[in-house]
Amino acid sequence: MILSLVFFTFSFIFYLVTALVYVANWFVKKKWLGQIATTMAFVTLFSTSMILIMRAGESGHAPFSNLFESMVLFVWALNIGYLLMEYRYKFKSLGAVIMALEFIAMLSASLLPYRFKSVEPLNPALQNKWHFMVDFLSKFGLEDYAIGWLDFHVFTTFIGYAAFAISFGLALTYLVKNKAEVKGKKNFLLDRFPDSKMLDELSYIAIAWGFPFLTIGIVTGAIWANEAWGRPWSWDPKETWSAITWMIYASYLHARVTRGWRGRRAAWIAVLGFVAIIFLYWGVSFILPGLHAYA
Amino acid sequence: MAKESKPWYTRIGTGIWKFFASLKLTIIVLISVAFISIIGTVIEQNQPLEKYLMAYGESWTKFIIYGNLNNMYHTWWYNGLILTLAVNIIVCTFERFPTKWNSLLKHKPKKFTAESVNQFANKRTVKVSAGLEETRTRVAAILKKNKYKTVKFDGNSDEDFTYCWRGVIGRFGSDITHVSLLLILFGAIIGGFYGYKDFKVVYTGDTIEVPDVDYNLRLDKFWIEYYESGQIKQYNSLLTVVEDGKDVLTKQIWVNEPLDYKGVRFYQSSWGNAWDRIAKANIAMIGKEKEQIYSNMEIDWGVLTKIPDTEYSVKLIGFAGDFAYDEERNEVFSKSAEANNPAIQIEVYRGGKLISSPWIFIKYPGIFPAIPDSEEDIVFGGYTGLLYSGLSLNKDPGVNIVWLGCLIMVSGFFLTFFVYHRRLWVYIHTVDGGTEVSLGGLINKSNFVFEREIENIAKKIKGDTEV
Ligand code: HEM
Repeated sequence: MILSLVFFTFSFIFYLVTALVYVANWFVKKKWLGQIATTMAFVTLFSTSMILIMRAGESGHAPFSNLFESMVLFVWALNIGYLLMEYRYKFKSLGAVIMALEFIAMLSASLLPYRFKSVEPLNPALQNKWHFMVDFLSKFGLEDYAIGWLDFHVFTTFIGYAAFAISFGLALTYLVKNKAEVKGKKNFLLDRFPDSKMLDELSYIAIAWGFPFLTIGIVTGAIWANEAWGRPWSWDPKETWSAITWMIYASYLHARVTRGWRGRRAAWIAVLGFVAIIFLYWGVSFILPGLHAYA
Repeated sequence: MAKESKPWYTRIGTGIWKFFASLKLTIIVLISVAFISIIGTVIEQNQPLEKYLMAYGESWTKFIIYGNLNNMYHTWWYNGLILTLAVNIIVCTFERFPTKWNSLLKHKPKKFTAESVNQFANKRTVKVSAGLEETRTRVAAILKKNKYKTVKFDGNSDEDFTYCWRGVIGRFGSDITHVSLLLILFGAIIGGFYGYKDFKVVYTGDTIEVPDVDYNLRLDKFWIEYYESGQIKQYNSLLTVVEDGKDVLTKQIWVNEPLDYKGVRFYQSSWGNAWDRIAKANIAMIGKEKEQIYSNMEIDWGVLTKIPDTEYSVKLIGFAGDFAYDEERNEVFSKSAEANNPAIQIEVYRGGKLISSPWIFIKYPGIFPAIPDSEEDIVFGGYTGLLYSGLSLNKDPGVNIVWLGCLIMVSGFFLTFFVYHRRLWVYIHTVDGGTEVSLGGLINKSNFVFEREIENIAKKIKGDTEV
């Protein structure tokens, strides 16, 4: 518990600081400030990775087994996704939005009741491992760290969530910026963002990444359920909600490709999709009855 | 021919076809299914009636039951919506695919002009000092290196027209996705029609009959592993397949590790304490008068055991964890799986002759005399329970079709989202002091990528021969 907690506390504080530096860079665009911001994003990425690694060491299994760990995984994936985008599309203004999201995610993880955080041994249904990996790792005495469909399922789902979170950030920014553009208002803060057409495009690209990952997550979840419960699909609320979000994003893609929906309407579907994701992730765990232990 | 003169069935047919060919329908149905599905996650599915009555009251419960909202995902209207999507996919594919195939794969080299190249949003014009022939070879090499396929037409000594493209397969990603969706649906339907699900409570040593197959299954052993903290780590069953009276296969299964045999899968799905049998019981023979205990012993289930120093033998034949008596059917049963009022039934023999078969209770010793007309009585003191293994049986001949469909679907996504279809028109012509190359083209998505690529190609064309 100790080391992972140290890294958690460090990351928690550091995400806040990083968010502030990104905000500062947004207000006063200075090259060195931007470089510091990016460096700090890398530091937070490193320490978030360390939380996961330490957790794995402390619990003796892949660190995706409760709500707290999955939040850290989400933060980690969102961080990587953001940095990739920053590197590729060369703009840092979105960093303020994403790092703020990261901080909120860390804050909610830290506020979770203890039972969602503690390192627990895996219950029978969660012990799903690939045979080939167990066989291979047992040569080194590391078979406990073998992963299976379940871990793969959680991992890909969360990459999907992270991509959708980015598309959500972009869609929100689009909506604000587009409004200002339409009214012809000049706003130096909004000017720091790329033009709204680019935001719209990027939001689509983020969904184009998230959708296959969410799909792989749903499919691998079904494969796991088929091994653990004897049926790939049982319409439990988590499964159903994953299908609901999946259909919302499928409509987004169709509206865009087949009916030429761009801009505001598309952005609103992206926002709706992410609201569904939040419900899928948190709402279902806390509000609806079902089989899923968490996430 | 005027529209009215067509027979009515053709008109209706065309109408239906048009309805299902609509892309608006896709979005409407997708959104509807998404929202309707929410109902089933809010109203818990397949619960006993009392639960709905408690949660929603009588009139809402009536509504729920009437509308099948307690088993929503299996209603005709829910599946009808899904089927609408399937028909929608099929009709749309028929409607659009041939045109798409022709326009994308059968290139009819249409002549283009220098101006038309400059009308594209993505374009570049580069001037080089080399001659036309040299530039042409150079451009061809660069395009090839960028993985473009080329058709060439209408060149002469002053002008050169080239059309080239790349990643056309990406355009078919969505079709591959749609076909895979049909495949998944098909697999699910096959599974629904030709498969079954079953659940069995099995005790160590029992053999169960497996429906539809020519073998039986025996449970050799069931055991639970614990963590040091006392939490359950795993539960396991050792299963043996018995075919024609011979053991052919033995496998240990646990949660997450089923046994697959001849198309049927056996899952460790639960376990529990038996409510209708036990492993051992503690009984004692007592004297009624002086309340003295003659002998205190442990007897095994179903084994005739002699009570030492007496002429009696007993055999344990029944157990009820929560004793109850059904008067109409004259039957003993267990009210619940909880051990609220444990009772056993024993057969009592005197000198080898069965004299009685009483039920005796831990909580109420002596309410029914175990041995009629005798000074002795038998009391029930405690027992060692028996665990059962809960096995799910599942035959699903469609499941592999579903997995195949999923694999194809994900490949379809890969093609749609990450393989971009680019088309490039290149016009090369001689100008004063060299050659001018104009590039212009289209990409089906991700303009950003294309802009960069054209920029890149332009730079390469300029190369060291920049004017
Ligand atoms: C139900 C789940 C469905 C999924 C997951 C799905 C998936 C997709 C995807 C991923 C694309 C490509 C989007 C892009 O290029 O960005 C697409 C495009 C398309 N879908 Fe679907 N689809 C579904 C149902 C349908 C149905 C029922 C129809 C029937 C009309 C349909 C018709 C189309 C068409 C016409 C396109 C455009 C094709 C193109 O761009 O060449 N889809 N679909």
